[in-house]
Amino acid sequence: MTLKKNNPNINKKKNKLPFKERFRKNAIVYLFLFPILIHFAIFQVFPFLFSFVLTFMDWKIIGNHEWVGLKHWMHFFQDKLAWKALWNTFMFSVYYIVPTMALGLILALIINSGVRFAGFFKGIFFLPVVTSFVIIAGLWGWLFRGTESGLINWIIGFFGIEPQLFLSDSSQALIVLAGLSILKVAGSTMIYYFAGLQSIPKELYEAAKIDGASKSKIFWKITFPLLKPIHFYVAIITTIGSFQIFDSAYLLTGGGPNYATTTIVFYLYQQGFTNLNLSYAAVLSYALFFIILIVSLIQRKYIGKDTAIY
Amino acid sequence: MKKFSLLVLLLGFLLVMAACSDDASNEAEGEVGGEITVWVHPYTGDAEKEEEMWDTIVKRFQEEHDAEVKIEVIPWANRDQKILTALAANNGPDVFYAIPDQMPQYANEGMLLELDPYLEDFDLSDFVDTALVSTKWQDKTYGLPILQEAYTYFYNKEVIEAIGEDPENLPETWDEFKAWAEKAKANGFYATTFQGGGSMNGTLYPYLWQAGGEVLTQDDEVLINNEAGVEAFTFVNDMYENGWIPEDSITAMEHDAIWNSGDMLAVLGSGITLSNLQKNGEIDFVIGSPLENKEKVTYGTVGMFVIPSNTDNPATAAEFVKVLTNADNQRTFNEVTQYIPTRESAKDIFDEQPYLAQLASYTQYALPGVIHPKGRDIMPMIQAELQTMMEGKKTPQEAADSAAEAIEAAVSQ
Repeated sequence: MTLKKNNPNINKKKNKLPFKERFRKNAIVYLFLFPILIHFAIFQVFPFLFSFVLTFMDWKIIGNHEWVGLKHWMHFFQDKLAWKALWNTFMFSVYYIVPTMALGLILALIINSGVRFAGFFKGIFFLPVVTSFVIIAGLWGWLFRGTESGLINWIIGFFGIEPQLFLSDSSQALIVLAGLSILKVAGSTMIYYFAGLQSIPKELYEAAKIDGASKSKIFWKITFPLLKPIHFYVAIITTIGSFQIFDSAYLLTGGGPNYATTTIVFYLYQQGFTNLNLSYAAVLSYALFFIILIVSLIQRKYIGKDTAIY
Repeated sequence: MKKFSLLVLLLGFLLVMAACSDDASNEAEGEVGGEITVWVHPYTGDAEKEEEMWDTIVKRFQEEHDAEVKIEVIPWANRDQKILTALAANNGPDVFYAIPDQMPQYANEGMLLELDPYLEDFDLSDFVDTALVSTKWQDKTYGLPILQEAYTYFYNKEVIEAIGEDPENLPETWDEFKAWAEKAKANGFYATTFQGGGSMNGTLYPYLWQAGGEVLTQDDEVLINNEAGVEAFTFVNDMYENGWIPEDSITAMEHDAIWNSGDMLAVLGSGITLSNLQKNGEIDFVIGSPLENKEKVTYGTVGMFVIPSNTDNPATAAEFVKVLTNADNQRTFNEVTQYIPTRESAKDIFDEQPYLAQLASYTQYALPGVIHPKGRDIMPMIQAELQTMMEGKKTPQEAADSAAEAIEAAVSQ
């Protein structure tokens, strides 16, 4: 065991400069790295580890904390609401991820197509991204008001559709909230896709044109597959974003009706900061962490594979 | 890497030690002096005027006591998080502002200093009884109130006339209100607001208390599904089914647009509603008294100042809270903020303002919510059942029973 452990170290040392030399060479790097690492340790590593410790305690804000072992973890597995919140979060992802990616791609294709005023459109499409979420949510809530005077209800009235309750209907509320997030985020996925589109070599398109390929064929055989690294990146960030969804439920529905929009982070917030059950909130955040970790690993395995094209 | 993780562990250990060792001293003795930090919030939109107000109050305190008072104005957003994290880090204020459902929760966690030892020779008889209710948990006092509100109906005069009723003769009981609501509906108006996505204090609770019910007693007895409770659930259900309240009432957070456009008979509001109505001046309104079914009662929050148990200057903090809530300072504070003083003697500030005087006269009926450490936890549970009922998936009785079940589970945890 010791031999095995030591051997690679010896080998490494052989290949490397003496410590002093190395230090002199890299001192400037350490100088810049050190404050970042300290900051990282205090604000990332410590809370991460400490919240794990919290899950085994009944944490009191002031006073003595009690060790309770696995009590909160056991409670999590029996807590129907936590599972409902996880299910809602999953459904939210279903409504959110693919449409966001698709819309982002479509918008990117529009501004990449050489249409006139492309810069103007880029600005318009990107506007929701830089606008405060509270304001966008307020507008969205106003559009989708469940009374007859709500704007969307007024519009669908022309097509003979009955006024809908939207946020007050437990089967529609989550979809309406997903719509809000799509509007908010599609602008930034557009920018990623736009960058991706620009990086595709022009020769490929020329060659395809010479071969007489149709526009849709070019898109599906060249553009779409070559955007794979972008798909991967966007899929990961929208997935993580969708699992962390909180503000729209907080602002527009308060988690209702009947917990229909209670997502896992909303529930976690409620447990932690309304019910002061910080230990259980920590358990929920770890559950969320593991879910995001697993999903990201799966995505990496299936769509994140090597991206060489030639 | 190994050294790095060791460092992190060490750091973690030190922080845990620091967090665990902050034993607060709860001695009532101790001299008034030194420095205290007080966390307040922006109570109006006028920061300058409030700063002057705090200067006046602090000066009055310093006329009698040799101590420094640092007033820090904390924005309302995420105030709980801010207070909790500051207190956990032993870096919090010595006095802070609390609301009724926060107090018992914090007190039950041992986060608040009991004030009774400091109030032995202190005369509380001038305080309004309903305001003091919210400062007590298990017969111990944890704060002194500075402001109060009373929710009642504001009626749109034009709508009253449009439905052929008399603005001089407003509804006092459920039955009278129902008759008006029916007429409002028939004439194309909504009767009132219902913010189903907001606090139960503005929706179910007042009706439940008016029906003679109670949600949860301080002895953990769940009463929400008794006869009075079901009557309140039924009343809400009728209002929704009859279209007296807007269709989106299940999760609505506000109905301002409907009220402001004059499509609503009455709105449940308090001092803020009044100042908005007076500022806009577009709606001609009258204020009615809180409704009565078996009892005449309504909701009204109370604002109080409390002291965290880990303060290192409890004597000065307690003295400051007493001075801050005396009659003079209540006049100063409430004149600026336009809330209602919790001392009868300070209510004279509204002698020239008939509307505020009228609201002030209703604080005797205003309950501050469910005073229980689980008061906040149970609210989303009741809300969910109420929403399910309004969606037509449960009867009022079933919804009340499920709510009771959920509350019992929460309380027994």
